[in-house]
Amino acid sequence: MQILWFLFYILIFPGFLFTMFAGLLLAGIDRKVLAKMQRRIGPPITQPFYDFVKLMGKETIVPDAASRTAFLTAPVIGLVSLIVTAVVIPIGNFLAFRGIADVIVIIYLLTIPAVAIIIGGASSGSPFSGIGISREMVAIVSYELPLILVLLTVCKKAGIMLTGGMTFSLSDIVVYQFYNGTMISHWAMIPAAIAFLMIIPGEVGTQPFDIAEAETEICEGTMAEYSGAPLAVFELSHAVKMFVMTALFTALFLSGWTTGSIILDTIIVLAICILVTIISMTLPHASAARLKVEWLFRYYWRIVSGLALVSLILVWCGL
Amino acid sequence: MIQHFPVLAIMTLFLASFLVVLFGSRNKIVRGTITMVAATVPLVLMICLIKPVMIDGQVISYWLGNWEPVNGWAIGIGLEVDALSLFFALIVTLTIFLSAFYSLKYMSRDDTLEKYYVLFLMLSGAVLGLVLTGDLFNLFIMIEILTFAAVALTAFRNNEDGPLEAAFKYLVVGSIGSSLTLTGVILLYSQLHTLNMAQISAMLQNGQNSTTVFAFVLLLTGFSIKAFIVPVHPVAADAYTAAPTSASMALAGMVNKTGVYGIIRLLYIIFMTMGLSSVQNLIVTIGTVTMFLGVTMALNQHDFKRLLAFHSISQIGYVITAIGLGTALGLSGGLYHAMNHTLFKGMLFLCAGAVLYSAGTTNLDRLGGLAKKMPQTCIIFLIGAFSISGIPPFNGFVSKWLIYQATYERASQTGNFGFALVTVIAVVVSVMTLASFIKVTQSVFFGELPAEFNNVKEAPVSMRIPMWIMAILCIVTGVLPSQVYQYLIRPAVNAVLSPVKYINVMMGNGYAEQFLSKAQAAPDKSVALAGYWQPESWLLLFIIVLAAFTVAALLGKKDRGVQSSSAEVTDGKYATFYSGEKNEFSRVGGSDLFWGLKYNLRHYFGFIGNIHSGVVNDYALWAVMIFAVYTVFAFIFLL
Repeated sequence: MQILWFLFYILIFPGFLFTMFAGLLLAGIDRKVLAKMQRRIGPPITQPFYDFVKLMGKETIVPDAASRTAFLTAPVIGLVSLIVTAVVIPIGNFLAFRGIADVIVIIYLLTIPAVAIIIGGASSGSPFSGIGISREMVAIVSYELPLILVLLTVCKKAGIMLTGGMTFSLSDIVVYQFYNGTMISHWAMIPAAIAFLMIIPGEVGTQPFDIAEAETEICEGTMAEYSGAPLAVFELSHAVKMFVMTALFTALFLSGWTTGSIILDTIIVLAICILVTIISMTLPHASAARLKVEWLFRYYWRIVSGLALVSLILVWCGL
Repeated sequence: MIQHFPVLAIMTLFLASFLVVLFGSRNKIVRGTITMVAATVPLVLMICLIKPVMIDGQVISYWLGNWEPVNGWAIGIGLEVDALSLFFALIVTLTIFLSAFYSLKYMSRDDTLEKYYVLFLMLSGAVLGLVLTGDLFNLFIMIEILTFAAVALTAFRNNEDGPLEAAFKYLVVGSIGSSLTLTGVILLYSQLHTLNMAQISAMLQNGQNSTTVFAFVLLLTGFSIKAFIVPVHPVAADAYTAAPTSASMALAGMVNKTGVYGIIRLLYIIFMTMGLSSVQNLIVTIGTVTMFLGVTMALNQHDFKRLLAFHSISQIGYVITAIGLGTALGLSGGLYHAMNHTLFKGMLFLCAGAVLYSAGTTNLDRLGGLAKKMPQTCIIFLIGAFSISGIPPFNGFVSKWLIYQATYERASQTGNFGFALVTVIAVVVSVMTLASFIKVTQSVFFGELPAEFNNVKEAPVSMRIPMWIMAILCIVTGVLPSQVYQYLIRPAVNAVLSPVKYINVMMGNGYAEQFLSKAQAAPDKSVALAGYWQPESWLLLFIIVLAAFTVAALLGKKDRGVQSSSAEVTDGKYATFYSGEKNEFSRVGGSDLFWGLKYNLRHYFGFIGNIHSGVVNDYALWAVMIFAVYTVFAFIFLL
């Protein structure tokens, strides 16, 4: 019975099917809202589902210059690590695997999809991918600094109250918010929350932060040689990443409440995720052109890190 | 019986080095047999000691020539193996064994090989002696032997450009380190009239005067130079690059660990100064600077081995930082990372060696596309790269995770915001490590295959076996951290934190209590790994999801299969897309990657590029400078 629940968690509810559905839904809403903002009609919300199914059915071409194994396994590894991350992020008060959710582990699990993109792109042997992976890596270095600052701030804030020191456990962070109100209601945390909102599009890689894929400059960069099922998996990972990041934002800054019903909780979390997606990804996409590579780095290390650091110092001073 | 094991292990190595030169100069088989036997015996002996020392908690002492202490004064030379010594001895003997195994094939294209093995075995014996000895002067002698053996090994391929220059730098800076160590030993002897580390440790508890503090500074500088921390690190970068790869592995895997061992022994046991927050701040600062400078230099390199060398420096920075925290968690992280560093850095050096052996160069701008020619080396390299970048579930993740926890915990305990910044820097350095390994991956194993490497073959089996052993150990130590912690790390941490037993075993029961004002009971450090990292559950999750996904993918896919071309297909379907450019002009060289990063940090990179002038005078000056800094520090804060 235990095993069945385990499988259910992984495959159906917070796991594979649900994340896939939620991710593709977010991607669809993102496209629809973006179209509305640009006064277009836009594709139906279900379009990402159609795209995924159609790509799965296409022929997979492995270029001669590619090293096969890495080329074909990289997308799967990336998706798997995202789903594992999704399973341990609390939804409302519900946590499928209590006790193994740890903030640092999640930071590292979140880098695996990016590394998978890099390994996949590198193994394709294309010079466009070469440029793409170097840009992807610059992006990782850029957003990792503010990300760790934000997470340390949250850990410190929750830890002061609970243990007097610090905590790295996601469930502790949720418990803290249960007793003290959502994280975002503490004014010292607001800069960190804004910083996290700015990190989300960088981590997911949507315009204006999509320097690694930049189809107008480097022909989709890391994805240049991908086709068929592996490309579908990468697109799916992209969508799932939208869900994982927004759900992580919800868990860190907007959780601690429960309606008592897991289904209602899930629906509310999804609604928050949609809102966060529109604020953090659709709006910048609609309003800004793609950043230059060196601007991206500067933006994250100065503005976003600065915001996060302000929060960290405020929290450190006990505010 | 077991008390003879340490001395037997050391003797085997030294004896074998003489046997090699006597009998091994003509016959390859004799030479190989002697080396392999000599490399295997210490490993077996040390493994046999795990049960009594690590699990039962014994401390093994051995008085050479049976010169036991008289009236509480240690006269003879004593070997003493506590859990800390054994921990490092295990690292060292494993490195010796694998390096010797690898060198059998790797070195076969060089001549005067008996000289290589003499030096190698001398180096091994000296390193093992250093970590097992209980006598300060003996420790100095081992440092001397290892320095000169290492210098000669660095210069072994002296028909090429780099080695002689690198060896000269190593010789100059290494000699400064050795001389300072010797002076420190002399000063301690003049004050305390004994050379036994246990006895010195006990007697120093009576209070220190300015002479012993100065001796502390001298010894600390000596060991810092052995560990190649900033600012003496350029020597290491040159030496690791120039030495034959099997020797580079030994240098990075065990020689710089002797510096780490020395620093732990010095700070925690002999002088017991680690409780002072000023010392913690000093060591953590130095460690943080070392890890940051090492990794940024590595981002700038064009040579595979040189890049690895700078990473070696950076990772030692992690170890030093963790040790400097002075907490049980920090020590656990530091020791764990020291072990992991030996495993993955040794493995990465062996990969570089395999590339050098097969392709004839380690220049990142010329290599490319070797994954198709050397698939196993590529897989092993990727395991190593993920390990060093700390990606779960490999071993680097566990130790780095412990280090982050430890630094942030320390920051919370002391309220010192600086420690929190150390956590942040440690994470950023980790990401930069990943970045520079992506660069290597792209420019050596992936990307296009230049025409000159069309005939490259996979490395021979006897070179791949040591690499696989290390790769498997990397995964095992990453997946089973609680077992590793239980049987290796925790005993060593306990040994470091409770030196009473170390002193009493050597000097007789009750000796330590005469000196230590409060009889320190061994603290019960039953810290479960603080936090929530349970790799078994994560791995299980990961595997189940992976399996589920594979099943789903296979069901969805009919017999279509994945297409690949046959040689005669030339319609461009399977060719790489070049957008009309000729493909020989569209290669992205290794040093052209990360432009966005380098452009933003160009002032910083220009600055550190200028600092690493390559002039040996500068490096010698820096060695003196770090000594001066330590001296000023010690006389301000320790007196």
